[in-house]
Amino acid sequence: MATDDVVLTKTPRPGSFRVHQRHRTRSPLSWVRGGGLSSLVFALPLLVTFAVFSWGPIVRAVVMSFQKTNLIVSEWVGWDNFQLVFSDPDLPVAIRNTIYFALLALVFGYPVPLVAAVLMSELRRGKGVFSALAYLPVVVPPVVAVLLWKFFYDPTESGVFNTILGWVGLGPYDWLNSSTMAMPSLVLEATWAAAGGTVIIYLAALTSVPPELYDAAEVDGASVWRKVWHVTMPQLRGILLITLILQIIGTAQVFLEPYLFTGGGPEKSTLTVLLLIYQYAFANSLGGNYGMATALSLLLAVFLAVMSLVYFRLTRSWSTS
Amino acid sequence: MTTIDNRGDVNPVPLPGPTTGEPTTTGVPVMTQRADRRRKPSAPQEDRGALSSADWRRPSVKYTWTTLHVVMAVILVLWGLGPIVLLAKFAITPTMDINADPLGWFPNGVAWSNVTAAWNDIQISKYFWNTVVVAAGSWLTQMVVATTGGYVLSVLRPRWAKIINGAVLATLFVPAVVLLVPLYLVILHPPIIGHSMINTYWAVWLPAGASAFNVVLVARFFDSLPREVFEAARVDGAGPFRLFWSIVLPMSKPILGVVSVFAVIASWKDFLWPLLVLRDPDKQPLSVRLPTLAASTDTGVLMAALAISTLIPIAMFLIFQRMFLRGAGLGGAVKG
Amino acid sequence: MRFNRTTALVMAGTMSLGLLAACSSNDDDAATPSGTGSPSGDASSPAADQPVTIEVAGLLPGAEKSAVDALNERITQFEAKYPNITVKSKEYQWLPTTFAADLAGGTLPTVFEVPATDTKTLIANGQLADVDAQVKALPYANDFNPLILKGGEGEDGKVYAVPAKSFYSVALHYNRKLFKDAGLDPNKPPTSWDEVRADAKTIKDKTGKAGYGMMAKDNAGGWQLVAAAYSRGGRVQTESGGTYTATLTDPQVKASLQFLSDLKKDGSLYPDAGLAWDTTNAAFAAGKFAMYTSGSDIYSALVQNNGVTKDNFDYGLTAIPSDSSNPQAGALTGGTYAGVRPDASDAEKDAAVKWIDFWYLAKLSDQDQAVADAKVLADAKPPQAVGTPVLPILSQAKYQESLTWIKDYINVPLDNMKGYTDVMFTQPLIPEAARATQDTYALLFPIVQAAITKDNPDFDSLLDKANKASQAKIDQSK
Repeated sequence: MATDDVVLTKTPRPGSFRVHQRHRTRSPLSWVRGGGLSSLVFALPLLVTFAVFSWGPIVRAVVMSFQKTNLIVSEWVGWDNFQLVFSDPDLPVAIRNTIYFALLALVFGYPVPLVAAVLMSELRRGKGVFSALAYLPVVVPPVVAVLLWKFFYDPTESGVFNTILGWVGLGPYDWLNSSTMAMPSLVLEATWAAAGGTVIIYLAALTSVPPELYDAAEVDGASVWRKVWHVTMPQLRGILLITLILQIIGTAQVFLEPYLFTGGGPEKSTLTVLLLIYQYAFANSLGGNYGMATALSLLLAVFLAVMSLVYFRLTRSWSTS
Repeated sequence: MTTIDNRGDVNPVPLPGPTTGEPTTTGVPVMTQRADRRRKPSAPQEDRGALSSADWRRPSVKYTWTTLHVVMAVILVLWGLGPIVLLAKFAITPTMDINADPLGWFPNGVAWSNVTAAWNDIQISKYFWNTVVVAAGSWLTQMVVATTGGYVLSVLRPRWAKIINGAVLATLFVPAVVLLVPLYLVILHPPIIGHSMINTYWAVWLPAGASAFNVVLVARFFDSLPREVFEAARVDGAGPFRLFWSIVLPMSKPILGVVSVFAVIASWKDFLWPLLVLRDPDKQPLSVRLPTLAASTDTGVLMAALAISTLIPIAMFLIFQRMFLRGAGLGGAVKG
Repeated sequence: MRFNRTTALVMAGTMSLGLLAACSSNDDDAATPSGTGSPSGDASSPAADQPVTIEVAGLLPGAEKSAVDALNERITQFEAKYPNITVKSKEYQWLPTTFAADLAGGTLPTVFEVPATDTKTLIANGQLADVDAQVKALPYANDFNPLILKGGEGEDGKVYAVPAKSFYSVALHYNRKLFKDAGLDPNKPPTSWDEVRADAKTIKDKTGKAGYGMMAKDNAGGWQLVAAAYSRGGRVQTESGGTYTATLTDPQVKASLQFLSDLKKDGSLYPDAGLAWDTTNAAFAAGKFAMYTSGSDIYSALVQNNGVTKDNFDYGLTAIPSDSSNPQAGALTGGTYAGVRPDASDAEKDAAVKWIDFWYLAKLSDQDQAVADAKVLADAKPPQAVGTPVLPILSQAKYQESLTWIKDYINVPLDNMKGYTDVMFTQPLIPEAARATQDTYALLFPIVQAAITKDNPDFDSLLDKANKASQAKIDQSK
């Protein structure tokens, strides 16, 4: 951006794109002639949409978290909403469940796509078919996937999964109907629906490993596994870290699966933070507690903002190193 | 895993760093080209992974990896195709059999009536069309905001661009969930328009435009376009509008493709937001409508409805497979 | 209904006051120059003929096509009767998880339905229109069951919500075919919870199907648990001198949970802790379990939404098992009120109450309307339910008279409902808790889920916690 001024045309003329940086005082006319107007016109869609649908609501969220409101009358209540949130016995449950979901999602969804991608990248033909197969579940509309898997998880002996497991003498399992199995069941479906995308990203990253590195390793007499471990993996370190953080950010906001599969049950075993926010705001038929909902969202936001900062630091350092 | 924008997606989409995607003369990031080249069997030497051709000739390596690949193939087929094939089977199986013997081979024949019932009674076609309308509008607003905004921030760069840039970047750190309630209230009582936007598609389209992710992605790409071309155009007397339309946009096709894929997929997946603002069943996309109907619909008919809703995206995927996969990989690939 | 002299007197007083208020407001209208606005409650005034369009709550999502056709037929008849009114029906299902969004979002139809538990709060919040004048002008205004009408009145004694439909007492629904398959006599349904347990076990052993299903998702689970507790003589809330006390630790609540645990041990409980009101109906209609409790009028919904007919499903209805030795035992009762959006204009309110009269109420008091309504439902292909037993919104005598008008059209298996119809007017009826009702249900359903999914849940500690939370909600509500 520093090179900017150098590129600047020395003499602003009609149709020029921006005001000369040295102009301190300007008349509206010179502003228009200097291209200020066209800049503004181009900025308008961004300014309007962000002001109305992003910046405005963010400010409002902060204000609302200190208010008690029924949408008609609002009353300033200080930190009450935060106190209510912290004293809600559901909050620790929801946080625990969300962390559990994130951990399970990592266990299920992190190594498997990596192994698949490494294996696939060594294929000499048919790579296209394989990546298409892996990606296929990603194209299935998420709601369809949840409704279908909900049927697969039928806890009776004639449920799909129970039938299949029955062939090898296992089960029947309770799946969604058990407070211990419900969350892993949710994560299994979520992994099915998302892993293909991760595989493709890893595959793309793998294609960028410079072949010279392998050649060099071979000169040193490295075995196949050493090449995978000492050449491929380090090259993937960056992308692995990034997908990790993005996955944490994503899973912290999980909603669709618990909402559609279990509604947070049984016994709140799949109640996540986002579901709790939704319940504060919308689940009480007689009017939501918007103050508590925004207060909890802000708390979640602080956590996610920290994660995003880490993420940004990483992408920056990665791209500049 | 749906939130009200694409940042909550479990499918990770890393941002390109500021200096990446070094454009070649055609503006296509280097990585994409490599990926393309790898498809061609004529370039085997450049196209290598950890295993060299020499490795492949060694029996121990060959058998181990072939076995691994076969195992992976079996798992992938079960994983990728299994549930979808089952869905297709259920779609034409009588409800009684689906419930009693879900994996049996049509013990009581085929029930095509499921499909006709889903099409006629559930009106899947209508909700599918709604889904398309929602996605198309969201795509359009995102494109308009991201390209014009990126153009201002990266190419025009008025004095105040830095402030705007900061304000846009800052929203990247605010998760979508914070916006849920206040954004809902904006839709209820929007400024200027005065009346509620609930039950109109604008309620989905417009907020979709405020995606900092897209703006940043596009602005970064514009940053990397060669300034000399702009200067040349300027010398030729091209105004800012012509520069935008005839030079910048055509040079940016790859990134516009990526943003489009993200926009459409995000809109396709979105559930919570349309659930809140599209209360009228006649306007709802599939993602909102199907769960409502699930409870009261006969299992066989529901399965047919689910299958129909899946058919079109899968068909689109198979046709535009290359674009999908490249789009999905590009987020990671441009990063390298 | 629990009813004592004092409440009766208070009620009579309130009602006459309400009538007076109605009269005076009519007088006011008459005094208003007709140019300033459309007078309400006076059908003969010229302003009433102005064209007006209202949106009304229609059928549940996913209703069978024949039910939709029947509704459209009735709308056509209504519009023929009142040419100035256009009616648009909108699919409608009251769910605690979406109602708030509709309420806040202003997307409710002009005429919408709310359960008895919510009317008082909605009235207090100003979220229902005052339709007192219009309702009092109805020919049968004085025939309403006063207790039921009171549920729709505000503190000011005016009518804001009109008793409309589905006044039920919770009853036991059973699949007669599964009873037969298990070698049980379908004409002798269980009359005690012990018999329910024994029959459920027999059915599981003989047919492989679950014997009993229980709603457990969201507030519906709490609602049915309370109904079970009532039938054993328990209560979840008591009132004394205007102070409300949560009593979730009532031993009968625990006994109701223990009953589910016992069934689970027997293997006869349908293993799904995710059943909501509608999915329970669907699973029952699909023959997945033999018995469940829900409102006595559920048969209509089974026909309307789950494709049940007299021929394809052998349905049985009987009273909820009740502990006759306990004078406190009874059947939980509730119902659905129709309300009008608070921002409705006078003309819309007039039209709305005309629709409420036409769609929900006239068939209860007017022979022609009763026959017209029954005919449309019975002629639908496949026919919709006519004659499903409900509790009378007007008097019992009127209800029984109305059944004679439509006897040619009645198509529900009344013979298989005798277990309920024989006692429906004599069983003790107990209304839902008065304070923080939905909140209390929301606290209870996770415990129901524990009973369904866990082997030995600690009900005492779970109920103790829920009781404290329920008390807190009660204290907040006033």
